[in-house]
Amino acid sequence: MRILAKYLRLLGSLARFTLAREMAFRGNFLVKVSVEVIWLGIMLAFYETIFGRTKVLAGWRKDEFLFFVGCFFALNGLIEMLFLENCNDFAELVRTGDLDFLLIRPIDEQFLITCRRVDWATAPNVLMGAAVMGIALARMHWQFDPVRVMAFLATFACGTAIAYSFMLVLTAFSVWMVRNQSLMEMWWLFSSLARYPKEIFLGSRAEPLGFLFTFILPILLVANVPANAMVRTLNPPMVGFTLFATAILLWASRKFFQHALRSYRSASS
Amino acid sequence: MPIIRAEGLTKTYRVTQKQDGLLGAFKGLYRREYKEVRAVGDVSFSIEPGEMVAFLGPNGAGKTTTLKMLSGLIYPTSGSAEVLGFVPWRRDDAFRRQFSLVMGQKNQLWWPPPAADSFQLHREIYSLPKADFDRTLAELTELLGVEKLTRQAVRELSLGERMKMELIAALLHQPRLLLLDEPTIGLDVVAQVAIQKCLRDYHARRGVTMLLTSHYMRDIEALCDRVLVITHGTLVYDGPLSGITGMFGLSKLVRLQFAEGIPDDVDRFGEVTRREGPTVDLKVERSKVAEVLAAILDLHAVDDVSVTDPPLEQTIARVFQEGRPTHDAA
Repeated sequence: MRILAKYLRLLGSLARFTLAREMAFRGNFLVKVSVEVIWLGIMLAFYETIFGRTKVLAGWRKDEFLFFVGCFFALNGLIEMLFLENCNDFAELVRTGDLDFLLIRPIDEQFLITCRRVDWATAPNVLMGAAVMGIALARMHWQFDPVRVMAFLATFACGTAIAYSFMLVLTAFSVWMVRNQSLMEMWWLFSSLARYPKEIFLGSRAEPLGFLFTFILPILLVANVPANAMVRTLNPPMVGFTLFATAILLWASRKFFQHALRSYRSASS
Repeated sequence: MPIIRAEGLTKTYRVTQKQDGLLGAFKGLYRREYKEVRAVGDVSFSIEPGEMVAFLGPNGAGKTTTLKMLSGLIYPTSGSAEVLGFVPWRRDDAFRRQFSLVMGQKNQLWWPPPAADSFQLHREIYSLPKADFDRTLAELTELLGVEKLTRQAVRELSLGERMKMELIAALLHQPRLLLLDEPTIGLDVVAQVAIQKCLRDYHARRGVTMLLTSHYMRDIEALCDRVLVITHGTLVYDGPLSGITGMFGLSKLVRLQFAEGIPDDVDRFGEVTRREGPTVDLKVERSKVAEVLAAILDLHAVDDVSVTDPPLEQTIARVFQEGRPTHDAA
């Protein structure tokens, strides 16, 4: 518990520190926030267009799907806020050798590398996603259910952890590749897959893909399971599988990252 | 018990051999050629607590690679090391808490906020009690004369001021071992002297062990009693700085002031390195100095004579080029 408290305190300090840093570049901050607001607007416009023509999309009703959109947006925002920029910077740290100064600190390397900076410009995404989820719940007159809320919170955390694990594996490749500009592209592919309900994988050709991205590379668990648990069917086996997959992925990605760090060559000064 | 013990440390890198031209680049996509490069080979030494030791060597000699293995950043290909009682590349927190690494060409301060913010973050990472932190920070800022600069944005500091802040960041957790890689590189003489003074004073106060690499002989002379010379990845000398001349200096410098002008045949006694009025400098093999002096004094009238070692930097440059001692170390 003491260690957890120490890391939470440190995370708070890093967040405060990077907020001060972000404020030094106000223009950049405002542009990033504006882009995210426009992006949410596009997603919602697309959603309105589709539900203007149909009442149900792959089994999801309008307000349920709105909740799904909000859930994905908040989760994606959380990932981008906490980890994306850090992971994206990792290749540069390897290339320049600046990783040296993170590896000599008496603290978990994975924590310091992946959490050292909070991207405050994406923090509003989490709030906007939460607001969209709130609106969806109000529109569907959702009745409070503590079991669903707990299942949602647990699987939302799992979704974040699964996404983080995938990102960590992609990041680790930078140690060997040095130039890893593909990380952002891979993350885009990942988030594109995660942003749709898994029910869209219909038909004999698509179903194997749905199976692959649910049980082998469980990207579809990220937003689908928490959204389902909250506003559609609470499926305990699927929640259990999500918890299991999360534990395995967190463990495996950490081992892989540590293995990658053993190959770090530390660029010459 | 030594604070650093290295036994047969070896680091070999596998590096890609790029082929020329566009065709070569395409070939490299499916078949790459590699070459093994030995950065450090079979290096052994030990350092006792409180020592200030310099690592000397030309670029690419293996100094920084050795420092990086000792600080746990990279794994050796073979050999072993124990630093502060730990195997460095296991990177135990207890080990990392006790040493610091300063690299003159890299920044560990976070930009652009003021250094004071970086120091606070440092306090959190190292879990330093506030009272200890405040006291150490006050001591270090006073030692380096930068009390008024800690709240200034790092990017607005001069290179010398920034290096002082880097040193403060490195010393805040009161490490027992300080590894310094070119700490004065790029600094003007005034800043170099200030850094040297700080390191000397800090060593006197805290008895911290230091292992330093530098290309500036002034750093080495000002700070270190003991020198490790490494060339082509191999340790060729371990001893006092003054011993380098005895170990590697093949020649002596004989300065003669002739009573009746420099004789025409003076160059048969040794290599003439300087002529000025009646004075000439001769580079003479160390073993032949007595014989040469006797011959000259026998043939010519000499007003003044002195025999000195050639400048240390010349000797070291020769060591770097040749990489071998003239006889085995004592």
